[in-house]
Parts: sequence; C-alpha cells; structure tokens
Amino acid sequence: MPSKVERWKDETYGMEIRDHLLRFAEEGWDAIPEDEHDAWFERFKWWGLYHQRKGQESYFMMRIGTPMGRMTPEQLRTVGEVAKEYATGPVDNPEFGDAYADFTTRQSIQLHWINVEDIADIWDELESVGLSTIQACGDSWRNIVGSPVAGRDADELINVWPVVQELHETFKGNDLYANLPRKWKVAMTGDRRGSGQGDINDLAFEPAVKEIDGEEVAGFNVNVGGGLARKEPRFARDIDVFCRPENATDVAAGLSALFRDYGDREDRFNARIKFLVDEWGPEKVRSVLQEEYVDYELPTAGEDLRDEYDYNAGRADATGDYVGVYDQSDGQNFVGLSVLVGRMAADDVIELANLAEAYGSEMIGLTQRQNVIVGDVADEDLDDFLAEDLLSEYSPDPHPFMRGSIACTGTEYCSLSIVETKNRMVRYARYLRDNVPVPEGVEDFHIHLSGCTASCAQPQIADVSLRGMKTRKDGDAVEAFDVGLGGGLGENPQFADWVKMRIPADEVPGYIANLLETYEDERAGPAESFRDFVADRDEDELAALAEAEETSYEDPYLGNTKMTWYPYAEDTSMDASPAPTDGQGEPLPSDD
Amino acid sequence: MADRVLKVNAFTTFDLLDASVEGHGFEEGAFATLNVRTAREAPEAITLELELDNTELESVPPHADRVTLSADEARTLATELQTAADRVDATGAD
Repeated sequence: MPSKVERWKDETYGMEIRDHLLRFAEEGWDAIPEDEHDAWFERFKWWGLYHQRKGQESYFMMRIGTPMGRMTPEQLRTVGEVAKEYATGPVDNPEFGDAYADFTTRQSIQLHWINVEDIADIWDELESVGLSTIQACGDSWRNIVGSPVAGRDADELINVWPVVQELHETFKGNDLYANLPRKWKVAMTGDRRGSGQGDINDLAFEPAVKEIDGEEVAGFNVNVGGGLARKEPRFARDIDVFCRPENATDVAAGLSALFRDYGDREDRFNARIKFLVDEWGPEKVRSVLQEEYVDYELPTAGEDLRDEYDYNAGRADATGDYVGVYDQSDGQNFVGLSVLVGRMAADDVIELANLAEAYGSEMIGLTQRQNVIVGDVADEDLDDFLAEDLLSEYSPDPHPFMRGSIACTGTEYCSLSIVETKNRMVRYARYLRDNVPVPEGVEDFHIHLSGCTASCAQPQIADVSLRGMKTRKDGDAVEAFDVGLGGGLGENPQFADWVKMRIPADEVPGYIANLLETYEDERAGPAESFRDFVADRDEDELAALAEAEETSYEDPYLGNTKMTWYPYAEDTSMDASPAPTDGQGEPLPSDD
Repeated sequence: MADRVLKVNAFTTFDLLDASVEGHGFEEGAFATLNVRTAREAPEAITLELELDNTELESVPPHADRVTLSADEARTLATELQTAADRVDATGAD
C-alpha cells in the first residue's frame, strides 16, 4: 500500500504547490487548515520550505538551490537583502545576530524565521535575479552539487558547468521527474580533486577517460546509490557505465526514471535508491537502465582519476577544501574563504557581494564544506583583496581549527536534532584555536558535528565525527556526543569508526586536545595523516587513544535544548514562545 | 567499533536510560536507548526497541533487542507500568 506521504503527493505535488503557497501567503498562516498541516508541510518542501520545529509554529526554513553553489555577486547580494528583510525571528542568535544565511553541505542557502505571508515578495526578489527555491527539498531532483569553479579551475579534466546547467534546466520543473519515491541527489565532478563528493550521492558522475574507436574521450563513470542517512551509509556503487558529457542528460533521465518506477513507495525508510542498489546489485541496475531507459549502447566504465582526489580526503600532502588562493585557467585567481559552520551574517553577505563586484568577480561559489569562493580576482588586485577587512573574519588562511568545521542546524530550528550544534561548534573551534597546539604539518582538521543520526553534517566522513546524544553528569542529563574517527572521501572512501559514546558536550574539547596530543606523539611522522593514523589502529587502540576531560571550555547549552522553544531566548520554556505568529510577528490567539 | 544499531533523534522515546545485561557468568551495566515504534501506515503491532551502548559492553556483541506487542499486550504493559509507577511515587511520598 502506498505510504501516507505518497497519498498526499498523489493529491497535490510538484509545480502546482506554488499556487497553494501563494494563496496561503495572501490569506495568512491561519488559512492552512490545522488538520492538514502535516500534508501541506510535506508538500511545501518541494518549493523549498520546511516548517520549523515545535515552539516555532508558523515559521519556516527556506532553502534556495544554487547549482554547484554557483552565483553571481548580484545574486549573493539579493540573498543577503532577503535575509535582512525577512529572515529575522523573535530572538537574536548570540553568535550571529538577528539575520544571517546558512551555506549548506549541498551548496544551497538556508534562511530561517520565514513567514508564509512573505513568500510572494521573497520569490519576487529572488526570481528577479534568477534564483529559485524550486525542488530545494522534497521528493525530486535536488540541487546538483559539484565544483563551483568548474570552467575556471586550472586543475580539471572537463568543464562540467554547461552540463550541469543542462541537467538543472531539464529536471527542474519537469513533471516527468517531479514526484520520485524520495529525494534524488546528483553530483557531477569534472575536476581532479573529487570535489563533487559523488560517493555520498544517489547519482554520481565521476571524471574518467576512455578510449572509444581509437580516440581518448573525457567523460564520466557513473556511480549510483550513495548516501549517509538512516544509519545506513553507503558509498555510490560503480554500475560500469562510461558516459560522454553529451549523454549525461540521457543517462541521468534514465536513472531517475528507473528510480521513479522501481523505487519503494510503500516504505519511506527503504525508498532511497541506495536500497534498490542493495537489492538488485549494480549489474541489474545497469541492465535495466540499458534495456528500458536508454536507446544507445552504454559503454563500460573508463579509467577514473580517483587517485588524484584530495577533497575531504584527509591527505597529509594536500588540504581537502577550496580555502586559500588558487590559479584559474584564465590566469586570474579564485579565493576560498572559510565560513565557520557555514553561517554568515546578512550584512556580511551583502558586503561580500559588493566586494566581489568591486573586484570584477563574476562568480561566487558555495562549497560542500560550507565555505565561500570569490572568483576572478586579478593578480594585480589580489593583495588589496586579501587585505580587505571582511577577510579577517572570513579568512582565506584561517587557523586549522577554524577551517575544517561543519555543523548541521541542530535544536535551534530542527525537529530531529537532540543537541545544539552551530553555536557550540563555533565555541569549540575558538577554544581549540586558543588552547590546543596544532600538530606539526596539520593545515586543516575536519570536525563534523551532527545533531542526531540523520547525518546532515555528514559526520561519517570527517577526521573527528560528533553525533548528538545525551549522557548523565553530576546527576543531570546533559547534551553529549558519540565520537567517530578517521572518515573521509578521496581515492578510498571510508566511513568513520565509532570509538566513544556519550562524551558530555563540555568535555569534547578536552577529548580532542588529548586525541591530537596522542596523534602527534605516536604518529610515524608529519607525513602520516590523522586519517592514516586511525586506519592503522584496531578498535581497542582507537578507544584508548584519548579520554574526555573537563577544561576551561564552558558550554552554555549543556541542558536539554530540545525542550526549549528557542535555545537562546531569555525564557526558553515552551510556554514563553510567541509562536504561532501572524505575518508581522505578533502572536496569534491560541485555540484553547 | 560498531555504530549504533538504532537511530536516535528527538522522536526517540528515551535516549538516556540505565540498563544492564546479564548472562551466565557475566553482568554489565551501560547507558541505553529505548524506543516505542509503530509503523507509520496502518500499524498492526507495537515494537519496543532497546540498545545498550556497545562501547560499554564486552560480554555481548553490538546489537539491539526488539519485542513485538499487540495492542492488548501494549495496554497490559502500560497498565503494569502505571501501577508500578504509582507504587514508586507512593514510596517517594512517604
């Protein structure tokens, strides 16, 4: 029997949701029938809106999908202006102020505290510069990820930007692929860094070369069925298909139609294509694709470039991100700026856009490590650009502990999370920077902090993986983390080994300090990366590497932030919440 | 070391309980998660899931235990738990 969500989708889904949203925007929050909230909130996702958690009724998170994280300075400025005007809530965030934008691990932008009454105005502003919230969430083609500097990167096999634009234009707003059994995440990589992180996507195009009819062709190997969620992490499986760039749309159409037709619509827990690949095996995926969905003979896989991959690969000989100054193929430079936990104040977003424009940049890039790139900086302007005040906050040369951190949304807004995340990760990073020696040779150290087992911060592919839990300390329940070590992508992707459970949140910095001290003392030398160091040790050795410890670090969110209406409010109790509110933020009378 | 078997998020019934495992010749204590589950669609039974933190245990491999209850069985359990809770409360009130 089709699931409840499938029945809601059968009634109304896809493009038509827009008209309903515009109607609710006109009529106000109260016009959404209370007994239909679940159905409407599920549908709204397709147009990029997630209802926020308990205690924040009537407020939405809005996601804007930017293919490969690529934007113009004008688009970035518009994001900042929309954030400033519409993404403000009843209480400021103590670290980030009243308005900010989140850059996500899938190169999108998230804004919070959005009122449904403002949707039409926000869409007008976004769409006037070519931005959209279409299919940013929901069961369809999500934002396509890949390197934002495709076509500019001096170190790439294929410029995938035209191919990604074609995919984006073909599969956004396309009724044939609007209603899939579950989300459909696509990565396309044309560089030698592996920056698309295709291994953790439903469909991955990985750069490859193949000799066809005596000619060496640059294209892609096709992998299917990666993903981290549901405690069932999988790397995408090789289905032994090589794809020329001009065939990418056909192959992508075939595979997403295969998923549409054969994916599980009865059990959403089993719906992602990774489970179909488990069931069928890659050979059957290939044969069904060949026989039912494409009308040319699929070549077998070519030779990949995986041994060159360094993006989030935990290598000692290369940093695993885009932070820093890099050569463009046209002789100019792109500059990657570190944005701690991916959150940037709206004023800073606008200032960065203005700065980029002033330096003649035509491209801003959001990366999967929640950082931002400014492209097209000329050699003669580089020193001036690097000396700009804003770059002291968002540095191209940050301290290693300020560089590698990713955090999900957490209890601030998310219904699933059981711990506070972003502000805590900021505090961890600052503490580590100020108090913990960096092992010699370490330039970036990746800590991924996720609020629960849903894996939104990609905790399984970090040097240190932190995943929200609870523990008891001095008789009280406190927020805590399970700890994993040694995950990463690259030539041989590896999920983290989980080595500790329930470390109290205020003892995590002490644990990391002790861990790094052991690493520096016991590693073979600076050439042995942390990831290799972990890979060389067995379970017992890993568990014994370090102990948790209290330090001078203070954690203001140790209590149960899940039970607050907003963790940073003066009065955090659910009863103190002003929600639901009307379009002006005034509390609406409650029904009881 | 093995990952948790059960997912844990804000909808988990208990993410922090004291538990123990006992067998012939061994007994160990650990924190545990306990969750009540029913199918999203047309549920026909209730599942109780229990997992002790595997990092604390040496005597058993990482695992979770599940018990399936009918609606009547779940009500019987709930009644017994309620009665037991009342007795504990009464002790506290003494």
